[in-house]
Amino acid sequence: MRRSFPVLGSLFLLGFLLMACATPPGTQLVPQTVVVPQTVAVQQTVVVPQTVVVRETAQPAATPPPAPVGNQVLIWSVDGVNELPGLDPANPQNAQSVLAINLIFGGLVKLDGQLNVVPDGAESWTTSQDGKTYTFKIRPGLKFADGTPVTAQTFADSINRALQPATASYGAAFQLQHVVGARDVADGKATAASGIKVVDDQTLQITTDDTVPYFLAQLTYPVTFAVPLHLIQAQGDKWTDKAFGTGPYRVKEWVHNQKLVLEPNPNYWAGQPSVSEIQLPFIQDSETAYQLYRTGGLDIMGSQQNPVPSARVPEVNSSPDFHQVAAFAVRFIGFNNKKAPFDNLNVRRAFAMSVDKVTLAERVLNGAAGPTDRILPPGFPGSQYPIKGLSFDPQAAKDELAKAGYGADNPFPQVTLTYGVEGDNERVATFLQQQWNDNLGVRVNLQPLELGTFSENLNTTFLTPENGLQFYLSIWGADYPDPQNFVTLQLLSNSPNNNGHWENPEFDALGKQADTFTGSAEERFKLYNQAEQLAVDGVGWLPLFVPRFSVLIKPYVSGVVPTGQYLVIPDFTALRGRPQP
Amino acid sequence: MGRIIGQRLLSLVFVIFSITFLTFIVGYLAPGDPIQIMLGVRRDPTTYNNLRHQYGLDQPWYVQYLNYVNGLVHLDLGKSYRYQNKSVNEILASGLPVSLLLGGTALLLSLLLGIPAGIFSALRPNSWLDRANLFLMLTLFSIPSFVLIPILRALNYFVLYQNGLPSLPAAGWGQPAHWVLPVVVLTAATLGYIARLTRSSMLEVLGEDYIRTAKGKGLKPRRIIYVHALRNALLPVITVIGPSLAFLVTGSFVVENLFAIPGVGYLAVQSIGQRDYPVIQGTTVLLASMIVLMNLLTDIAYTLLDPRIRAA
Repeated sequence: MRRSFPVLGSLFLLGFLLMACATPPGTQLVPQTVVVPQTVAVQQTVVVPQTVVVRETAQPAATPPPAPVGNQVLIWSVDGVNELPGLDPANPQNAQSVLAINLIFGGLVKLDGQLNVVPDGAESWTTSQDGKTYTFKIRPGLKFADGTPVTAQTFADSINRALQPATASYGAAFQLQHVVGARDVADGKATAASGIKVVDDQTLQITTDDTVPYFLAQLTYPVTFAVPLHLIQAQGDKWTDKAFGTGPYRVKEWVHNQKLVLEPNPNYWAGQPSVSEIQLPFIQDSETAYQLYRTGGLDIMGSQQNPVPSARVPEVNSSPDFHQVAAFAVRFIGFNNKKAPFDNLNVRRAFAMSVDKVTLAERVLNGAAGPTDRILPPGFPGSQYPIKGLSFDPQAAKDELAKAGYGADNPFPQVTLTYGVEGDNERVATFLQQQWNDNLGVRVNLQPLELGTFSENLNTTFLTPENGLQFYLSIWGADYPDPQNFVTLQLLSNSPNNNGHWENPEFDALGKQADTFTGSAEERFKLYNQAEQLAVDGVGWLPLFVPRFSVLIKPYVSGVVPTGQYLVIPDFTALRGRPQP
Repeated sequence: MGRIIGQRLLSLVFVIFSITFLTFIVGYLAPGDPIQIMLGVRRDPTTYNNLRHQYGLDQPWYVQYLNYVNGLVHLDLGKSYRYQNKSVNEILASGLPVSLLLGGTALLLSLLLGIPAGIFSALRPNSWLDRANLFLMLTLFSIPSFVLIPILRALNYFVLYQNGLPSLPAAGWGQPAHWVLPVVVLTAATLGYIARLTRSSMLEVLGEDYIRTAKGKGLKPRRIIYVHALRNALLPVITVIGPSLAFLVTGSFVVENLFAIPGVGYLAVQSIGQRDYPVIQGTTVLLASMIVLMNLLTDIAYTLLDPRIRAA
């Protein structure tokens, strides 16, 4: 579980574009920023700023709003990298790539600002009775930025291409594992998945091997996005230097190791984007980005993975540029359930109840995190149903340890907590060590590892638990907005992500029921909630905190909304950048 | 002379192959499977095996190494694991000119400023001017770039930018203004070193018998200093030029990182975290070749300047 936040393929939810498109003349769209306080289950209130579009009917004589002035530029730093690993949607390797890919390409569906799946390249879809077949109606007149029509065949070819071994995608086979026949394509036994059928130019049918309620959410991940195969054929490997798709922008210039420059896609189905150029400079070091920002070199800086440096937060947190959001991510302790002493439930509970997470979040991390006792992050689908967490209680923790048979005559063995060296991990681990010593009388050794080595050790823990780590500090960030992505993907006994091999038959039964549930989302989320409660009680994870990340946005920029995953641009026609002379 | 160069070039080949072998073995034995690092927890055996096959990692280590050496002989450093469809050649080719330009400018400036500063000090040894100069040069030499950079940035921001004066870009690459801060930072350390080296070497030479003879002959001090003394005093300085350039080019990753400069030093560091072995090996080979080549050039320059070496 290295830091993989690949994606909530979400982004740039042009959700509202739809609305803009369907707007009859005489109606005006007025973007407003409102602050919606949401109370979440984690005894903390998160303020989620959201942009809403309010419809106002103007005088009948009024003409539609004039096309926004094209002479605007937006300089948005891509922090944490000095180059994008690639722009091929079939292979979105990191969050930075996904940010750029989502500006350029589009899929069948996408997510809106409230994380609902909404139409993109498909204007509508239906699901069969058994929930296994999805029929998409492709938007009539949909075109690539170069004017080439996009049909159901384009989508089918794009998805098959992502799966083919020659594409060497890191994520496609995993992401599309439920599509019938996808495995055969990934194995090189077929070139097209049997579950992807082109009915006619405007109709695409995708069949899954089981009921997969989160399938549509998975389709918002870039691997299924439409790619211009004619361009790929003509340009070969270098096609991404001039990449375009069905998204709002296209590549104007990719200055390798420096920046990506985008220009509007003239054929964008939701209307001409208002900002005439988006520059995405790659800036590895967040302090450097901050320096550029404050000397006017950037309009937006910071992301979930690479926020404004915490040392700089005090000098900017009262400025209008400053935005802080709780991430869709949870930092947690994982235990090796196949090895003493953490194979014992009472031991895990003792460790869980002896950590003062409020002090950790507020003092140690200076408020750059919110304490949590559950697996789903606040604001995430499914988190509206509360969980009773294992709260901080040193006495109860000691009792649990005694119940496990440890005491004066049988002292608890020394254990080692392993973590990857990044961000605040060092401080967090040291604090935890202190807590367990003070509240439980247990000596914990710390083992910091370079990230790649840490990742290797987790892999060993998964494959051969008896040679694995004892317990480890890790983080999980959302790929797509469905509780499955956290609850069952992490903790089902047979899940490839269950590094610590936590097992609970009751949890498995509930989880599997939820994963294939065909009824309402509400009912399904309640099933996840029951499962999550079991995982919390049985300490499948020891959840510590939800990181909060800070971004800076110049006040003259509007139409960009910070969310728990990414900065989101709901409507590209309403985006405003820096005015050009 | 030709024989010396031939020998050195031959040893270059040997050095490079030893280095590729060492980096390869260390990489092979180091924990952290590049494909697994990319996949993270998305453990998908099909994808894993497919990618290992694509990059030839499913072959035994000696086959992998021989493949690498075979590529190297054809000047092909392989393909990056990390950057899609990019060869290491391309990656280095785009970074090297930037680093060379930056490092070359800094070295040139250090020589142009450092040698006169050293002579200035050597001519008035132990005077207060000498001491002040030495102190300044020692400070420049000792101050780490990650300390100097924030100081320069703070000056740039608070003194220039906030007062509406023309200020320098805080980072970036592409315009001449982008050069100023990084070149200043890179120059500082080398300048301090060269000035101190020039001073001590000049002082030593000024105490030599032939200088006394020259003085006794009644030659003008200017002529003694610039013709008789300087030529010999510069020998040690010339020795450090080559390696300095090699290190300025490949070792400036802090500066390149903090100023977001698309050079080669930073690439190397980032590729280590990502276990991008072809890039790690490529940059190592490049660095090693540069150092060996620069040492060779230094030796050649040395023989040209010092007849005693030629005779030996």
